[in-house]
Amino acid sequence: MTKKTHSQPRSEHGATGSYVIGFVLSLIFTIIPYHLVVNKVLSGNTLLATILGIAVLQMFIQIFFFLHLGRGPKPFYNVVFFFATAGIIVLVIGASLFIMNNLHYNMAPDEVVRKQAQDEGISQVEGKTTGACQGNKDNHIVVIKGGVARPAHTQASRCDTLTFLNQDEGKREMVFGPHPNYHSYGGEEMVVLDDGRPETITLNETGGFMFHDHLYPSLSGHLTVAP
Amino acid sequence: MTHHTNAEAISVHEEAANDRVMFGFWVYLMTDLLMFAILFAVYAVLHGNTMGGPTGRDLFNPKLALSETLILLTSSFTAGMGMIAARRGIKRQVLVWFGITFLLGLAFLGIELFEFAEFIHEGHTMTVNAFLSSFFVLVGTHGLHITSGLLWLAVTLIFVIKRGLNSHLVRKLALLSLFWHFLDIVWIFIFTVVYLGAFV
Repeated sequence: MTKKTHSQPRSEHGATGSYVIGFVLSLIFTIIPYHLVVNKVLSGNTLLATILGIAVLQMFIQIFFFLHLGRGPKPFYNVVFFFATAGIIVLVIGASLFIMNNLHYNMAPDEVVRKQAQDEGISQVEGKTTGACQGNKDNHIVVIKGGVARPAHTQASRCDTLTFLNQDEGKREMVFGPHPNYHSYGGEEMVVLDDGRPETITLNETGGFMFHDHLYPSLSGHLTVAP
Repeated sequence: MTHHTNAEAISVHEEAANDRVMFGFWVYLMTDLLMFAILFAVYAVLHGNTMGGPTGRDLFNPKLALSETLILLTSSFTAGMGMIAARRGIKRQVLVWFGITFLLGLAFLGIELFEFAEFIHEGHTMTVNAFLSSFFVLVGTHGLHITSGLLWLAVTLIFVIKRGLNSHLVRKLALLSLFWHFLDIVWIFIFTVVYLGAFV
């Protein structure tokens, strides 16, 4: 009996105060990030880092004032186990984000989705237009012979088709944009032309474009696609 | 005198058993935390993959999320107060504090289900895109934890009403409040990463 009356009221007395302090601090650290985000006090990565920092702070507040972790000699293993878990969590989340961002960067999924949609003539994906053509109009032919593309300039309208015909020996790799900083056209990264075989693309992007052979940059031509 | 030493021996024995149970439960909580960490990692990776559909910024209502946070935080606090009453052996206070905890937990769950129902009604179901899949799985898993916590709490409170506060039930309540504080901490990160993060 003496043991109980001696040990319990002290911890209880501290406990009530501890819960109240923890509760008030948690309220404050909930309202602050909400205010920062909703009223746009900060922005971008600063804001993200700040609200994440406040969340971690609030976690430690609750662990200390609500869970009473690390207070008193007993829950030593709990503290060790908690920090071991926290370490694994940082590793799992950090590594996942690192790996997947890298993958995302190298795959450019938006382009892939757009390309697929265009290939299949899907004009909208989730309410966004893909620029896919529903029906093709005129066909334009660019003949490659003797290392020269003819005609040098092609005037077309959107949804026309363009056929590259390679009459030289060897492979041609047609890309869009000036050498060496080429870019994709309508999701098309590269038009590969084997000997004598024509390849046709749909002109779904409007504007003026330059195309050239990635392997022989001097072989080039222009293309204008009117809306 | 002999009676006194016996009682003390039992209480020392019980305390050791309590410590073991507490540590075991703590191990469970940490593994559960790891599971949530993986769901967070999945959400962090996939939250942008909306297939051109609406993003979190278009869908989430920050006021609703804030009210959920405040409700759960308050319920965590009342669970703590209930635990103090349980250690003091005051049954009536235990029922009042944990009763409030239960009602607040129910209110939290109600808001969450309201939000889910609204999304589903508007066609934003978990099969639409990777963002919605990871959102529903992460937040839904937390909601399932809350649901099981509420069931556990209800059963324990019925036992308290019927049998009174014994050491066994006090230990159960201690585990329950540990579980409840833990769910509150997980929710802070859902609130920050999912709901506030969408507006960054």
